[in-house]
Amino acid sequence: MRRLCAILVLLFGFRLFAAEVIPPPPTAYFNDYAHVVSAGTAAQLNQTLEDFERQSSDQIVVAVFPKMQSDSSIEDYTVRVARSWQAGQKGKNNGAVLFVFKQEHKMFLQVGYGLEGVLPDALCKRIIDEQITPRFKAGDYDGGLTAGVQAVIAATKGEYKGTGGTVADNRTPHGSSSPFLGFGFIVLIVIIIFFARGSGMFLPWLLLSSNGSSRGWGGGGFSSGGGFSGGGGFSGGGGSFGGGGAGGSW
Amino acid sequence: MKKLAIILGVLVALGLLILILIAVAGGSYNRLVKLSQAVDSQWAQVQNVYQRRADLVPNLVATVSGAANFEKSTLTEITAARASVGQVKIDPNTAPSDPAKLAAFEQAQGQLSSALSRLLVVVERYPDLKATENFRDLQAQLEGTENRISVERRDFNQAVQNYNTAIKSFPAMFYAGAFGFHEKPYFAATAGAETPPKVQFDFNNPAAATNH
Repeated sequence: MRRLCAILVLLFGFRLFAAEVIPPPPTAYFNDYAHVVSAGTAAQLNQTLEDFERQSSDQIVVAVFPKMQSDSSIEDYTVRVARSWQAGQKGKNNGAVLFVFKQEHKMFLQVGYGLEGVLPDALCKRIIDEQITPRFKAGDYDGGLTAGVQAVIAATKGEYKGTGGTVADNRTPHGSSSPFLGFGFIVLIVIIIFFARGSGMFLPWLLLSSNGSSRGWGGGGFSSGGGFSGGGGFSGGGGSFGGGGAGGSW
Repeated sequence: MKKLAIILGVLVALGLLILILIAVAGGSYNRLVKLSQAVDSQWAQVQNVYQRRADLVPNLVATVSGAANFEKSTLTEITAARASVGQVKIDPNTAPSDPAKLAAFEQAQGQLSSALSRLLVVVERYPDLKATENFRDLQAQLEGTENRISVERRDFNQAVQNYNTAIKSFPAMFYAGAFGFHEKPYFAATAGAETPPKVQFDFNNPAAATNH
């Protein structure tokens, strides 16, 4: 019994150690989960970043978390989070995400592949060291994040041309699946039913067909949330990240 | 009449089944080709980021050796490691199929990694150098490159895993070998493949850096 307990503790302990949370994609450009920024500044920065996507198609996202939910290093963790959020347009990979972890006093600016040219690591480091860190040290989160966002916008302006819309504007609910196999299967069953009808074999075929159809369509129908229709809000465009950017602490 | 209809139905169904099987087999072959190409293109990415790091070295050496009486042995070590990295020749467009080749590549890169991290530890003793804008920029680039290396290595291993799993799965396992699809080697999970060598660049805590 004691041994069992020890094993359980070991297992549980391991789980605790390995625990990592990849937060779901945000629905806004500016996300203050740690409540360090005034509501006015947050709304204003959110609007600025949304306008910037309309103008440039670049997706720049800010996320302030109370703490980092990972045992990994910040650069390793945030690149995986940024990838899962898919900031930036597909093909252009023009996204950037500024992560701030309040408890750890650490931040990292992750830069998508397509913005590495205009936001090289050294520039990211300077933005963090010169614009954000001094203000954070003084407790001025509003000022630090505003300055940081402005610096990132200033650096990336002009690299890409916007469409006047955002990904969230254009996103319409759609189910995607590879229908070929399911479709073929259903055609097959329909034909079998057609020929077997009246021959007394109807019932088993019917059962099979209901099985088949559920298998055929089960994989589709997933659409990533967002929930925003008719504009407003952030929705990742499918951009990818390769570990570019820089971090800092305050 | 009814019997004929049933026989016809079964025949049509069998025909369709065979068609679907062919489509599946063909699809599976095409998938192997795709996965193999994914490994190759990911290998090119890996080479890119390692090249990026190698390209930073001359600049770094120039900046550091400008500092008054900087330790020469560290610089010699880096230059030598940089040179041996250049000697490991691997086709940048095709992922290595020979584990020994990949291991040799890794060993050379690992030497450069440790030489670079030693340099950054030594720089701790030169606060004037550390404070220069040029060195700070280089340091940020070097850190970013190390991050990219760990990201691309992980992606490479993921691509290899997808490929290796596919050739060992049904139905590809029956013909993968015959069509020249062989297992590909992974990067070893040592030397900071899974976690980037963060402590080596943590200037606020040189103690952690030295015991690495």
